[in-house]
Amino acid sequence: MVSYLVRRLLVGLLTLGLITCMIYGLIRSMPGSPLDTDPAMMDPSKMPSKADIERMRAVYGLDKPLHEAYWQWLKNAATLNMGTSYSQKKPVAELIAQRVGPTLQLSVTSLLLSYLLAVPMGLYATVRSGRPDERSMSFVLYMLYSFPSFVAALFLQLLFAVKLEGTWLELPLMGNQSNDYETLGDMAQAWDTFQHMILPVTCFTYGSLAYYCRFVKANMEEVIRQDYIRTARAKGLGPIRVLIHHAFRNTLIPFVTLLGLTLPGLLGGAIILEGIFNWQGMGLLFFESILGRDYPTIMSLTLMFSILTLSGQLLADILYAFVDPRIRYS
Amino acid sequence: MNQKDRDSVVVSAGFWQQSWHRFRRRKLSMFALYFIGVLSMIAVFSPMIAGTKPIVCRYKGSIYFPCMGYYNRTWENPIFQKDRFRRIYPRNLKRKDPDSWAIWPLVYQDPHRPVRRNEWEGMKGNPYGAKGQPTSKNWFGTYKTGFDVFASMVHGTRIALLVGFVSTGIAATIGITLGAIAGYMGGIVDLVISRVIEVVMCVPALVLILSLQAVIEDVSIWNIMMLLGLTGWTSMARLTRGEFLKLRETEFVAAARCLGASRTRIMFRHVLPNALAPVMVPIAFGIAAGIQVEAALSLLGFGAPPPNPSWGTILNSGRETLQSGYWWQLVFPGMGIFLTVLAYNLIGEGIQEATDPRLADPGN
Repeated sequence: MVSYLVRRLLVGLLTLGLITCMIYGLIRSMPGSPLDTDPAMMDPSKMPSKADIERMRAVYGLDKPLHEAYWQWLKNAATLNMGTSYSQKKPVAELIAQRVGPTLQLSVTSLLLSYLLAVPMGLYATVRSGRPDERSMSFVLYMLYSFPSFVAALFLQLLFAVKLEGTWLELPLMGNQSNDYETLGDMAQAWDTFQHMILPVTCFTYGSLAYYCRFVKANMEEVIRQDYIRTARAKGLGPIRVLIHHAFRNTLIPFVTLLGLTLPGLLGGAIILEGIFNWQGMGLLFFESILGRDYPTIMSLTLMFSILTLSGQLLADILYAFVDPRIRYS
Repeated sequence: MNQKDRDSVVVSAGFWQQSWHRFRRRKLSMFALYFIGVLSMIAVFSPMIAGTKPIVCRYKGSIYFPCMGYYNRTWENPIFQKDRFRRIYPRNLKRKDPDSWAIWPLVYQDPHRPVRRNEWEGMKGNPYGAKGQPTSKNWFGTYKTGFDVFASMVHGTRIALLVGFVSTGIAATIGITLGAIAGYMGGIVDLVISRVIEVVMCVPALVLILSLQAVIEDVSIWNIMMLLGLTGWTSMARLTRGEFLKLRETEFVAAARCLGASRTRIMFRHVLPNALAPVMVPIAFGIAAGIQVEAALSLLGFGAPPPNPSWGTILNSGRETLQSGYWWQLVFPGMGIFLTVLAYNLIGEGIQEATDPRLADPGN
């Protein structure tokens, strides 16, 4: 197990090196540089002089050839120095710390909600399998699963923020909180945050809810046919006890893998949804930094997402061996 | 065995035939297949459904097909430009050649421009803004600039279907080839290809698309399709690799090797057909994903560049006027994307169940 882990980690480091190298090359070849995407620079009266531009290029390290600049970045990254954002003039670590909160606020809520709802719904679907109510539920869930979340986001915005404007059902169009948030009392602040979260959380949740629900049902259908379930029923256990203690516990293994694979999504946010709702999270930060050619921010975010993706896969493999003793790594 | 005996042997249905038989029994999947068929017809014949250029017309003694201009600008007959039609056909045809005749598209609306007043005798121009609600003339309403949403959507079908097919085609080619090589060769080749898969999985498609603009002056929809293909092959490569790892140990591969078949021949002639069934599923889902990603890119402002309308760009222009409550600009393109994605998902599901050997018919 230990040798397997060491090997996986070493290979993972190699992969990370490859990824960052590739991204660094790619973003440096994108048109424009941080110097000419800043709107302040567009103003002809404030056009920096040639000497100023040279000085700024030196400060940003843009005057160095690609490989030297990459090596410099790599050395800094190894000491956890992620650099300073060009456009916001703040350390990248600070920027990320600011944006992680709102993203987690959405992703953790949505993850909890979808798991809490999906398990009972999946179990219900197993019990009522083939009946009209189960069939209609599965049909609706399948439709939801195929419904692109950005389309749903726009539809919900249109319905709740525009068409129902002025009624008690009205919900805010976008943003994390209202403009007068600071002046509100504690309860009103919580209510305000809750209202702003409803639409984004709905859009984040319904797709994965449908997916997990189908996942639970598919796994349960396989387990429920096993001999030990028949035995449990035969010895007179109640249907609920059989369903949960004997059947559902045995479907947990695939669940664990799924959890490992959702790890990067938790912190990564979603560029499109955060963009539509103007939610100040990681996805929006990534999008803004690409538009502004903010190299240090793009690099740090990519590094972070890559580490999360790779460790999510590793975690899934390791957990797999833990919950299923038949699997061995050597 | 003589001829008579040979005739009496019942040939059992092959794997693909059996699968097709099982697929056909799933009503929803078949319905989805028909839906995609209808959409493909709409895509192919879009200039004949909605347009302002005649399908066929007789002008100054010759027959022309001006509607071909919708497929490609240069296919529109130059004579109409020379005679200063300015893209308005009905009035000019009659005025410049009283003996001319033309067969018109079903709906006289254009995806590239709003229809103006008096293009036909006594015809009203397209309304815009809040007046652009769906009417009998503008079935799906108009944009704030007066463009017809229905015409844009009909012509957008071409892109919607092309994006899915082309990007998934590229992805499948790369994914199956690399997966096959990695799975069959094993060892160091497998290690290298697996790392490449991981790297591509981690590279955000958005960074790739933006850096593509560095290399190519104006990014066309074809570049975007290529890029979606170049980034979307990882899941197929992993699946193919897994199948090949399993199949290379089987007896029929050993037999082929004993007979002296070359490595490429074994890989693509013997193993691949047996590994193809599981890969069919991500292909169907990949088409759905391609359509979604293209639309999402359009929403971010990186989609199909004008003048080619795609459903994503229509949705995006609907988003710009969202706060005015012009629902028709969102609902129609949104439902179009949804139904197409749903259809491909249903087909993917159908293939999954139809090719699952555990559900195969016993015996014949």
